[in-house]
Amino acid sequence: MMNTVETRVPVTVLTGFLGSGKTTLLNRILTENHGKKIAVIENEFGEVGIDNDLVIGAEEEIFEMNNGCICCTVRGDLIRILGHLMKRRDKFDYIMVETTGMADPGPVAQTFYVDDDMQQKLHLDAIVTLVDAKHIWEHIDDSDEAKEQVAFADVILLNKIDLVAPEDLEKLEARIKSMNSMAKIYRSRDALVEMDKILNVGGFNLDRALEIDPKFMEPEYPFEWSGIYQLNTGTYEWVMGEGPDPAMGAAILPLANTGLAAQEATLMDAVLTFSEDEQVVEAGGIIRLGKGQHNQLVLNENGDTVFSFAIQKAGYYMLFTEHHPDEFDARLRGEESILEPLEDREYKPDHEHDEEVTSVGITLPGDLQLEKLNGWLSQLLRDQGQDIFRMKGVLSVRGWDQRYVFQGVHMLFDGRPDRPWENEPRQNKMIFIGRNLDRAALENGFRECLAS
Amino acid sequence: MRQRKRKTRPAKPALKAKWRTNIDDHPIGLAWSPDGKTLAVAAVSGPITLFHGADGSVEHKLPGHALDTMAISWHKDSRLLASVGQDGKVRLWDAETGKQRSEMAGGASWVERVAFSPVGDYLVSAAGRKLRLWSASGELIREYTDANSTITDIKWRYDGRQFAISAYNGVVLYDPAKAEPLRRFEWQGSTLTLEWSPDGKYIATGDQDSTVHFWIADNGNDLQMWGYETKVLELAWSFNSRYLATGGGTQVVIWDCSGKGPANTQPNMLEGHQHLIKHLQFQRQGMLLASGGNDGMLAIWKVRKKKAALLADAMFKAPIASVAWSPDDRRIAVSDESGALSIAAVRRL
Repeated sequence: MMNTVETRVPVTVLTGFLGSGKTTLLNRILTENHGKKIAVIENEFGEVGIDNDLVIGAEEEIFEMNNGCICCTVRGDLIRILGHLMKRRDKFDYIMVETTGMADPGPVAQTFYVDDDMQQKLHLDAIVTLVDAKHIWEHIDDSDEAKEQVAFADVILLNKIDLVAPEDLEKLEARIKSMNSMAKIYRSRDALVEMDKILNVGGFNLDRALEIDPKFMEPEYPFEWSGIYQLNTGTYEWVMGEGPDPAMGAAILPLANTGLAAQEATLMDAVLTFSEDEQVVEAGGIIRLGKGQHNQLVLNENGDTVFSFAIQKAGYYMLFTEHHPDEFDARLRGEESILEPLEDREYKPDHEHDEEVTSVGITLPGDLQLEKLNGWLSQLLRDQGQDIFRMKGVLSVRGWDQRYVFQGVHMLFDGRPDRPWENEPRQNKMIFIGRNLDRAALENGFRECLAS
Repeated sequence: MRQRKRKTRPAKPALKAKWRTNIDDHPIGLAWSPDGKTLAVAAVSGPITLFHGADGSVEHKLPGHALDTMAISWHKDSRLLASVGQDGKVRLWDAETGKQRSEMAGGASWVERVAFSPVGDYLVSAAGRKLRLWSASGELIREYTDANSTITDIKWRYDGRQFAISAYNGVVLYDPAKAEPLRRFEWQGSTLTLEWSPDGKYIATGDQDSTVHFWIADNGNDLQMWGYETKVLELAWSFNSRYLATGGGTQVVIWDCSGKGPANTQPNMLEGHQHLIKHLQFQRQGMLLASGGNDGMLAIWKVRKKKAALLADAMFKAPIASVAWSPDDRRIAVSDESGALSIAAVRRL
């Protein structure tokens, strides 16, 4: 009978602009002693065998489907070539697909999800994008292809680092991270990279991505600082000195307790509050409390400015400020003394670039309700599928002992139960990479899927 | 004491294997010579074996194409076999001597399709977008204007007066006597395969977007059938042009084209395969349909107006790779992906 053991052959898709070093990397892959039998599908070559390996030429044939949905767009040449390749007796351990510099990685990746024969026999291991560290600046601002190649990548190789100054490299890496925070980024010259960084990396493996850069899941917030205060009834003063800006956004929200869950809930409220229109509070004015009250504190030109507020119900409160209070030498004054927060936290500021292509990472403790999640995802993908390039997640579904892992390309996704949670705290992590993503809406939508 | 009359159930007619062998490679094509005497089997790695149809003895082993054979086609006189492959060549073989008669350039590195006309005067080959018309002995008659995209299939009309090709964007119809296409049947999608109804009235296509089309050859009208599970690569017409059997999933879907045609009708769905169906073939003069699937099952169905009946089945160890009825409809050749080849007699049913 049929063999049900995983026998699918891994595929790496290699993208990158002309001159980024793809050919050098391919030659390295083909000549290095990695013990694998690799078939390479390239654009210009005819079929040639190199020792164990094979290079096949492809014509870039993109098949749009009649419904015009880009999510059904596939590469017909790949279906044909790979289909034939899989019939060969001399089975390959590995397949590399090189795309042209201007190729959209979407149809290539989708080919492995949409076509049944492909899905049965092959699995997309990772999309590896080579970036020419020196010349990428010429494309990254105005080329959709360059942005998409960065956005789709599971692994990004910053190549030709010997041609750029270290500080430019830092800048480039930061820029790329702001667009695609889930990709693993390596630096290289002459495309010299260890094979296990690019082959069999398991693009699915979210854990590994987290190990490499644990901060990448941290979302961006519209504020830079929060402090938790325990306040009794009475009047308080928020005193600010001169700072870099003439005004600053602030919100004060009640906090149920100092536990993590309560903090997360208040944090969400703060995000929503900061998305409301700001209400100007002139110097000496009163700061409004609570959800939805986005205060814009206007400072005196010189010297300290004092704002006040009254607490009518004793308890914990969380103060959120657009900038770090230290920048304004700001402090909270009680009736007798300056109050120090019980806890404070700094947040990663919003991107400096207003990137069109960004990543949104969301972490939520608790269990999800599967039906709600499915409903939300399908609605989301219907509305925004074209703008969501990649999606990955590790989810905790109510009633399931195992972690559920999935990844997707545009509207297509592939999910499966993974290892059991066991002692690990159950939580949900999800990353979206795409164009014009609305973080608050994504967070809200995801939160709504929690089992009540 | 009353003796209960035992109902005797008629024994399920089994397929009786006449001979078996193994070519130890993935067979990409099985083709009976029109006289039924020889079975040509092309292996993906290149070689083409000519078996004696009656007993499976090897008549000739043709080298085929150095870099993978992709398709084969018999000339109607059963003497010439055409093959194409990834060496960029179209080759003509003499089935009697086993020698190569001609070698022609297909026009691109992968020559994927080849078809002799049913009357034996022409041969058409397709390599990527290149479409070439040859005489039966291999002289180039014409190279057509490149197709829009890689040509996925070529099929002749029953009388050899027209042939159709499929590619991304639908079907193009040609008259071999003319350089320009006769007609285009356009569809914004990737058409993967086509089959003329034996009476030449319809051209059915299977598409990547999980649709089946019935193009009316005379006027270019198009009926679209949606709702398939997968892309559709499996199409088979019954000899009387009444039924079109289609795959594109785990069920055989049968459309009845009698009367006003298949529009707004419910097809018959045949259940039995556990996995995707990969091959469908009707008998040439009978109503038996063979289906082969990824589950390794070969099934023989009797197709009729009411629900078709499953008459016989056989299990192979690997997914079915090819199915071919003999010209007299009395035998069926089946191979699986491991290279197992079985020729079974089918009793008149």
